[in-house]
Amino acid sequence: MGGIGIDRSRLLLLIVFLGAALGGYAFIDLQILAAGNLTSMAVFAVEVGILALGQTFVICGGDGGVDLSVGAIAALSQVLLGLVLKDRLAWELGVLAALCAGAVMGLANGLAYAVLRIPSIIVTLATMFAFYGLALVFTGGINIDLTASPPAFLAIGQGSVIGLPFQVLLIYLPVFLACAYLQLFTAFGRGLYLTGTNDLAARLAGIGVNRIRCLTFVIAGVLAALAGVVSAARLGTARPDASETGNLLSIAIVVLGGADIFGGDGSVVGSVLATMVIAVVDYGLSYNNFNPIYQAGVIGVILITSVMAQNLVRFRARQRS
Amino acid sequence: MMSGARGRSRQASKPIPGQAALGRFIASREGVLLVTLLVLGVAIDLGSHGALWYRANVTSFLVDFAITAIPATGMTIVILTGGIDVSTGSMLGLIAALGGKLLAAGWGLAVAVPAFLLLGALFGLVNAVIIIEGAVPPIVATLGTLSIYRMLVFIVLGSAWLTDIPPILTRIFVTTRLGPLPVATLLALAVMAGFAIFLRFFRAGRHIYALGNNEEAARLAGLDVLRIKRASYVLIGIFTGLAALLNLGESPLVQTSTGSGFVLTVIAAVVLGGTELSGGRGTILGTLFGTLIVQLVQDGVVLLHIQPFWSGVLLGLIILVSVGLSHAWHRPAEAA
Repeated sequence: MGGIGIDRSRLLLLIVFLGAALGGYAFIDLQILAAGNLTSMAVFAVEVGILALGQTFVICGGDGGVDLSVGAIAALSQVLLGLVLKDRLAWELGVLAALCAGAVMGLANGLAYAVLRIPSIIVTLATMFAFYGLALVFTGGINIDLTASPPAFLAIGQGSVIGLPFQVLLIYLPVFLACAYLQLFTAFGRGLYLTGTNDLAARLAGIGVNRIRCLTFVIAGVLAALAGVVSAARLGTARPDASETGNLLSIAIVVLGGADIFGGDGSVVGSVLATMVIAVVDYGLSYNNFNPIYQAGVIGVILITSVMAQNLVRFRARQRS
Repeated sequence: MMSGARGRSRQASKPIPGQAALGRFIASREGVLLVTLLVLGVAIDLGSHGALWYRANVTSFLVDFAITAIPATGMTIVILTGGIDVSTGSMLGLIAALGGKLLAAGWGLAVAVPAFLLLGALFGLVNAVIIIEGAVPPIVATLGTLSIYRMLVFIVLGSAWLTDIPPILTRIFVTTRLGPLPVATLLALAVMAGFAIFLRFFRAGRHIYALGNNEEAARLAGLDVLRIKRASYVLIGIFTGLAALLNLGESPLVQTSTGSGFVLTVIAAVVLGGTELSGGRGTILGTLFGTLIVQLVQDGVVLLHIQPFWSGVLLGLIILVSVGLSHAWHRPAEAA
């Protein structure tokens, strides 16, 4: 653990990945480094990046903790927001409703895990079905058109502030700073790290292990809802099947960011860097007119090779000592 | 280990043999599932005014059951060893695409059927090598291959649909019946029965439980832990190949999204059947009931003219309630 909660070899690996991806694309076409293209990358990164920040906390909590329902929470929150806007109520109310719904859904996950003691992968598998199902029920399976919403709402996903996209500067950046603060400077963050690395020791040290893990699901729920709000504002629609790949992509990002899927290690900073890598790879592929499905495949390759590289580094280190 | 201890204490306190066995079964996970299944069945039968038993519905139910049950048997074994495979849906799509091309090019079943199974074994082996030789956690490794296999489906198919699949698969697996059951369903039941017996009565089958309960102890007891794991991933690959074959029999069409979302249904069936994700505990009989319940919910939603969107909600609730109940049930025993 370095000063920012990420080990140095992983930091280096991510920066190398990032440089290689950007460099590679720039070699094909230097135009990709133009400001307009870089901001487009950032816009794509925001939504999945927010999902990944929530996922980081859940995975850090250990006990095989993983949240498969983040995409579904984003979709259902987005649909609730859409319903509020369709009824011509204040858009602020819609955003508030979406965020509260996200918190409630996260709490449902957390309680099912902590009180009923069902493994989180089963809980969130079940709630993923349930939340996507409810989103379909509420909309009848039809997208809600939001293009006629108040401009102030659409600005969340389409506006810009001092030349930068609104959601990058005024949503993602503050959320990232808040998450980093939460992880590095609060009792919750330290408790989470101990819980993830050794939950028996944490329990004996008087840490409310179940409460902490429950809280990680609530955080993941609220952040997923936020991602849903941003994507609804960006696209001008609320879709009951939004963020279908969000759960797997967010897990991939967290693991690429250096988290141990079994808990403990993992950092907000690592997840942010990994989000940037994924965003660059993805944007570059679509910029060069590859079908988006290649993005998924390339991310799969990156995911596997990064864990293997990590294993190799650890193996070498053990041999040396 | 724990389940063994609990089994013994129950045996020690049995009053009348026959009655006790019945009581034990009803109180067991499988018993709860059977009761759930019966209640669901009766409710759908009444609600649909008998439409449940129409021939077309029964056939599609039985074939859908087979397509889920065969990979679910493999998944049960993988999860028993303490692993998991989330790439099954993409793998099914990829095998269907490659095998479908073979069939569309005019190759006979004598070539195509082994090809489906071998492709499955190959992709399963790829997963196994990444997990074992690469030391990548199973969920991460198969999450990776999930997207890689899906990308390969796209590369194989382009954006076109593969529609010229010969009708022979439908003739063999769906319309041919032995007694009341389509061949696909018989195949699934045979696979399940075979592996239920294997897990219960064969030494190698017991080794799988030993490995799942305590890997370190299993290794120290001299089991070839890595070989068992590798075999389990290859096995689910072969079963996925078989399911891809049946899938083409049911709907002779392959598109780039074929099989997406399938793995979640399979895992839901296994988990509902009482197999624990931490490994070492679970039965094929449970998976059989779990698969039937999952399919019955999906079928029932259609028959009862409920908006199809409710099926996800219902499935989610059933998983939570059923797993939650069984955990509440077992907790006192585990605390002791």
